[in-house]
Amino acid sequence: MTRDWWKHLILTLGALIVIAPFYMMVSYSFKSPGEIDRGEGGFFGRQEMMVDERCVKLRDPNRDDIAAAALRFPNQTDAQIRDALVAEATAECSMRPVVFNYTKAFTEAPLLRYLLNGILVTASIFFIQVLVAVPAAYALAKLKFWGREAVFSLVLFCLLIPVHAIALPLYIMLAKLGLTNTYAALVVPWTISVFGIFLMRQFFMTVPDDLIDAARMDGMGEFTIVWRVMLPTAIPALLAFAIFSIVAHWNDYFWPRIVVTGNRDLFTPPLGLREFKGDGDGSFFGPMMATATVIVMPLIVAFLLAQKRFIEGITLSGMK
Amino acid sequence: MAELAIENVTKRFGETEVLKGVSLTIADGEFVSLVGPSGCGKSTLLRLIAGLETQTSGTIRLAGQDVAGLRAADRDLSMVFQSYALYPHLSVRDNVAVPLRMRRLNGRQRLPMVGGLLPGARSAEQQLMADVEHAAKTLEIDHLLDRKPGQLSGGQRQRVALARALVRDPAAFLLDEPLSNLDAKLRVQTRVEIAELHRRLGATFVYVTHDQVEAMTMSSRIAVMMGGKILQCAPPDEVYENPADIQVAEFIGAPKINILPVDVNTDGHVTLLGQKLPLQLAQPETGVRIGFRPQALRLSGADARLTGVVAHTENLGAEVFAQIAVPGLENRIVMRAEPGQRAALHLGATVGVDFDCTAALLFDQNGQRIRTVRQAVAPELTGAL
Repeated sequence: MTRDWWKHLILTLGALIVIAPFYMMVSYSFKSPGEIDRGEGGFFGRQEMMVDERCVKLRDPNRDDIAAAALRFPNQTDAQIRDALVAEATAECSMRPVVFNYTKAFTEAPLLRYLLNGILVTASIFFIQVLVAVPAAYALAKLKFWGREAVFSLVLFCLLIPVHAIALPLYIMLAKLGLTNTYAALVVPWTISVFGIFLMRQFFMTVPDDLIDAARMDGMGEFTIVWRVMLPTAIPALLAFAIFSIVAHWNDYFWPRIVVTGNRDLFTPPLGLREFKGDGDGSFFGPMMATATVIVMPLIVAFLLAQKRFIEGITLSGMK
Repeated sequence: MAELAIENVTKRFGETEVLKGVSLTIADGEFVSLVGPSGCGKSTLLRLIAGLETQTSGTIRLAGQDVAGLRAADRDLSMVFQSYALYPHLSVRDNVAVPLRMRRLNGRQRLPMVGGLLPGARSAEQQLMADVEHAAKTLEIDHLLDRKPGQLSGGQRQRVALARALVRDPAAFLLDEPLSNLDAKLRVQTRVEIAELHRRLGATFVYVTHDQVEAMTMSSRIAVMMGGKILQCAPPDEVYENPADIQVAEFIGAPKINILPVDVNTDGHVTLLGQKLPLQLAQPETGVRIGFRPQALRLSGADARLTGVVAHTENLGAEVFAQIAVPGLENRIVMRAEPGQRAALHLGATVGVDFDCTAALLFDQNGQRIRTVRQAVAPELTGAL
């Protein structure tokens, strides 16, 4: 144990480097803008009441407001009424920074809508990927046909092509089909996952041939074998693939940014973060980090729940 | 129930010819073992019968009907695999029910959730479950029905695999080394059970094994395969006592038969290490070999035909096998002895070994059995008398 201290030191340092950005994200989502600027307040910030300047500015009383409020403030000059109204507005616009950040996250942009879009897009992508990858992987692993090795080489070759290299032609094709700014544009280019085919094929290679032969003797056709025998035995591998696929497409900023150009109803969660980017009146780091925290939370929870099976899946599929 | 006829079947995998023209007819209700060393093509032949592979040439007939082009699923055969091949995600009950569900329910009735609500599905499912229970009772696994295969021992999995095979009453059972993964004790027990199952069902069994004891104890006939051919197909005692080929003689029987080179002189008399044996061939031949089972040899005095030194003994309790190194012979000869003779067979002892020439098997240089052997009275024996 004592001789292993340096291993633990290196691992601890590595863990700190990985955790640091998450720490900053969560911490900023708790703090007031002043604390963020000055870098004070520890992890949670001091949580002192703060005033939302924008909210006050929006409620800045005009002549009609003052006239309407005259009844409530008898025997006072307009200037006095105005001051009283501003004081009221300031009181109502004060809140704890954490409440401010998280309410802003949900009110400034339709974050719930973005989250739903994210779920819809990632779920559709994963569903269709499985629909394509499992039969393809079964054929490549277990069926003998002319050109099988060539097809598998093509699959491996496709693993080498970076997405960004084919983004432009893909965009042009979608544009010509009139599909930009649709859910289809977000989903269709990702429905065939060569990584998924490869991963599932490697897993299916480990399934004994006897099992498939037994299924054939029992009267199953090839498609029945795929869905009734191969899929249930491949659950660990499928979970591993699910994590890869869902993380990649839930967090994807690049592709939605390209194909969703105007319609904010189609924004996925990462696009939602743009709503807080610095305009004339400075960046909203607090709400932005609150949004980011909300966005990554489902993934972290899902990973913690499926952690064991996920590691199982990776080791099972020989990707150690 | 059906007769199975295999005619001139060959199978190539690329350049290698695995089966080189195999013909075999299996009568209805017969238990035929395909036995041979690994790589002899016995499993390939079984897979051809099952329809899991397609033969390169030749025909396979089931109940008189050519099954070429017929899918494995449509051949009405059941198969038990060496690895059992149970569906790991299904309970024992569902494992056994699969072949029935695939045949008795249609595609829509098999759908999860909604399938059970369709007309006819419920009564079919009830009938099916009754059949599953019956098969489970036959193999005494009814208390395991709700377990998953992962929770069963090897022997129990073997029974589940058998239950899955017999639940739908197929035309024939194909068994591919079903006992190889069991431990020795369980193997002996299951061997008896499979043989009894065969008698009870009266169905056709084709049984592939590399273990000659399994083949000898269970089969009505044994087909000994070597190098892609059936060398001999006959009842167990016939294969043992009257092998047609030296390879068959060497493969069947444990310990192995003793094969000794002999010379044949011009008048057809057989001589072993310069001694004339009372055996005479029709014509002189070269490369002739003689075979003696260990029990055809016996311990003898100084006037014995062979004299050697005991190199190793194996005491099995009821019998003793002694390996004796005889000068002039390349291989040690193995002799079966009674336990009472153990004292004479201590290591390093010089012993005389004699044999009964009527039990000798003679093979020509190609390994074919020489059947035209006359029991000639050797001159020296006449002298002794």
